Amino acid sequence: MKEVIAVIRVNRINQTKKALLDAGFPSFTGLKAMGRGRKSVDFQVMEAMEQSGSLSETPDILTTIGQGGRLIPKRYLSIAVPDERVKKLVDILIKTNRTKEAGDGKIFVLPLNNVHRVRTGESGETALDEMAV
Amino acid sequence: MMMIKAIVRPEKANNVMKALFDAGYPAVTKIDVAGRGKQRGLKLGEVVYDELPKVLLIVVVPDNDKNYVVKSVIDSAKSGSKGSFGDGKIFVSEVEEVYTISSGIKEEEAA
Repeated sequence: MKEVIAVIRVNRINQTKKALLDAGFPSFTGLKAMGRGRKSVDFQVMEAMEQSGSLSETPDILTTIGQGGRLIPKRYLSIAVPDERVKKLVDILIKTNRTKEAGDGKIFVLPLNNVHRVRTGESGETALDEMAV
Repeated sequence: MMMIKAIVRPEKANNVMKALFDAGYPAVTKIDVAGRGKQRGLKLGEVVYDELPKVLLIVVVPDNDKNYVVKSVIDSAKSGSKGSFGDGKIFVSEVEEVYTISSGIKEEEAA
């Protein structure tokens, strides 16, 4: 079993929930998180540059005007899935969240030793929610 | 890759974030959480605080950088030079795969 953690844009959460449901991943845990990525950008400088048009001429400059790292609101999803469904889940997450801009987020796949269902006390793969599509 | 989850004091969170940034690990996810430790919360006279506010910071780093990042977090999250109860915990777990959504590709160790 694996735990798939996705940190995605706030405005993509509804699309993602729907896509996951359609693909048979109904269960997930969601959190509101703040985050910053590898590229941190001084927003005021960037805005000023965008207005003056110099941003399109020198796109490389974005990495050099980094500031103390401003935090951006994100949504954090944690989904437990059996090994064989990881690939499908990752594909769906990438497909629904990809705008090709920096800031789309990250997906992490972590090993998960065991799962217990509190209601019945079962453990292992049978405790995972599976919805056949 | 390794996922480092650090639970720190809220007032130390900015300090830790800055230390990580300066150490070259700008990518962090921050979540506000509440919890208690083995001191069973905080007792002030008659009042018991069962759940204390903390901040959960999540950083994913290459295997080789793990010790360095853990050390930077410890140094920046400690209160006083000796540290005290409630400074928090750091958990390290293995990450098998990392994907960047914008490019859609799987990250390799070097990232």
